[in-house]
Amino acid sequence: MTQVSSSSSSPLGRFWKALTSLRLTLVLLLILAGVSLVGTVRPQVFDNLWFLGPLALFTVNLTACLIRGLPQALRRSRLHLTPDAALELPERVRFSWPPSHDPHLRVENALRRELGPVQKAAAGEQTVYFWERGRFRPLGPYVVHLALLVILTGALLGRFLGIEGRLRLLEGETANVFTSEGKEIPLGFQAHLDSFQVFYYPDGTPREFRSDLTFTEPGKSPETAICRVNEPVTFGNFTFYQASYGHVLRLEVREGEKSQVVEAPVGQTLKLDGGARFRVLEYQPDLVMPGDGHGKHLGPAARLAFWEEGGHPRLLAVLKDHPEFADQHPGPYRFYLKNAKFFSVLQVKRDPGVWWVYAGFLLLLPGFYLAFLRPAERWALVLGRNRQGAWEARLLGAAPRARESFQARLERLQKLLKKGGPA
Amino acid sequence: MISLSEILGGVMLAYLAAAFLFLAAVLWSSHRLRSLALGLLVGGLAAHTLAFLARWIISYGQAAAVTPPADFGGKLQLVIHQTPLSNFYESLIFFSWCLACLSLIFLHRYAEGFLGVVGGLLASLILAYASLGADSRIRPLMPALKSNWLLVHVITCFVGYAAFGLAFGAAILYLTRAFRPQGQGPGLPLLDRLIYRAAVIGFVFLTLGILTGAVWAETAWGRYWSWDPKETASLITWFIYAALLHARLVQGWQGRPIAWLAVAGFGAVLFTYIGVSFLLPGLHSYLN
Repeated sequence: MTQVSSSSSSPLGRFWKALTSLRLTLVLLLILAGVSLVGTVRPQVFDNLWFLGPLALFTVNLTACLIRGLPQALRRSRLHLTPDAALELPERVRFSWPPSHDPHLRVENALRRELGPVQKAAAGEQTVYFWERGRFRPLGPYVVHLALLVILTGALLGRFLGIEGRLRLLEGETANVFTSEGKEIPLGFQAHLDSFQVFYYPDGTPREFRSDLTFTEPGKSPETAICRVNEPVTFGNFTFYQASYGHVLRLEVREGEKSQVVEAPVGQTLKLDGGARFRVLEYQPDLVMPGDGHGKHLGPAARLAFWEEGGHPRLLAVLKDHPEFADQHPGPYRFYLKNAKFFSVLQVKRDPGVWWVYAGFLLLLPGFYLAFLRPAERWALVLGRNRQGAWEARLLGAAPRARESFQARLERLQKLLKKGGPA
Repeated sequence: MISLSEILGGVMLAYLAAAFLFLAAVLWSSHRLRSLALGLLVGGLAAHTLAFLARWIISYGQAAAVTPPADFGGKLQLVIHQTPLSNFYESLIFFSWCLACLSLIFLHRYAEGFLGVVGGLLASLILAYASLGADSRIRPLMPALKSNWLLVHVITCFVGYAAFGLAFGAAILYLTRAFRPQGQGPGLPLLDRLIYRAAVIGFVFLTLGILTGAVWAETAWGRYWSWDPKETASLITWFIYAALLHARLVQGWQGRPIAWLAVAGFGAVLFTYIGVSFLLPGLHSYLN
């Protein structure tokens, strides 16, 4: 790759240059931002070539930049500041002392106070003190970009090797498969919902959703687990997340002498034997009617919509403890509420990419630290006698990416070096 | 006894007065006015902090009354969960706090009065919006928000937003001064550096906010990224500031284009923070 990049006139060289160019990065970032803006309204865009194309190109761009720049950054971060290199730094200020005052001790103390331990070397008649920080700064951006690639790798792994789906369990029900994109996927063990509970705050808003689960692997003793929102449960290869819940009502439907029992999840439309359809609109565990004192408790209640082929829908109420209400139902059918059960919906998933994603997240931290918090800073002080025998010191230094802190340090050093002696 | 909202009303006035005094101090180069402005800003921030802590304590008390914590660990857990950062109103109060705090830090470092003008003005505007446009009641925490990630996710996001707010203020000043070069105020090179500095801080914290949000989403819903409108909008914001940093650090852009990018970026921040919550449904829509 290095030979290619060196000959920028060949077609391949130009292609490589275009791939690693910052203009491409900027254009891609803005395109991705634009497409994402469309995606806030139409999320399906993110499965579309309009997004995946630029994203793939962005990945290539990132990789190319990494290949091009990382070796140089590594070389630069291995270069220690040497006395020779230190002498090349730009001069900032000069000091002088009379021949009788040997300033070595004072200079050393001043530098140590401001910079910490400094290195020392002899250069001919002169002494060179030098100090550096942020040698690894050039690696920072590459660590950040590497971290982004690791995250994207994790996302790809999740997409191709991971699986996610839903498991709907009635209280007391056992399952050994879950559904993912319309297909049934075996769990490899049995999952049983012992109970589902909702707890409420005094103001009536939900406080906690809780599924008590029992997992049984063939030939092993069962294990129980509690799954709550924000507290997923992992068993075998899969992790279970509390996603949703609802009620299933057991209704007896009578039509003259005929009777059928139907299990009806709230919100789902069902067909009866006679061809009519109905849907449970709402279920209340205890219907309270306001009245004298504390109100009247009517017990479990449901509201249904019912319609026959071509007819208008009709609304009716069903009360478990007051079956006589069914006499008021219109039409040939009478509905009786037998009991109601919770069902719990669990998100089921296995994603081998998550650990890559998290590793990328962790890698971003040192990357940011190096890139933004460790600007390169170099100082040197050259001390020797001039022709008249007086002591002379030249303070050199540079910090191209941290001018303010450099300036502030320069002022402090100046003060420390001048203190208590003629300058 | 005065209520928390009255205290916050006073804080809002203090920030506003501080902003005007900073402006006057810049215009007449008066040290006395400047000290007064600084005092008001510090005093306002102290009262703001107290109001925040008081709300935290009240919120904890309410939750502990419903579910008394069993041991020290349970107490600590409840303290973390009940941080007053769980709805739109509380997030506005904290956003304003971050802005005031960050502008004080920048003021300490750069000693430029206009930072106080920008920070004080933005902080008081946000407090005013909170008192007028958001429901200030303390509500019990919904199950999805009961997580230790709430604290760190919200804090990192809003420190980021506040830094972007300062970058935006500096960018607006840069752009107005670039059109009218004469007159008082900070020099253009300083403003340019400030935009960059604030954008770096914002970018680092926004990234941390997105990461912590992703980890939280993974534990709550089993998906670290689900293209929820809020997530998407924060990614757009991230792209814009990433473009700004690359343009500046690699391409060496300075001045006006960087200032425009900072303005566009803050537009994206506002869209992420407020626009998405009101316009689009999604996992974050509990904000209203």
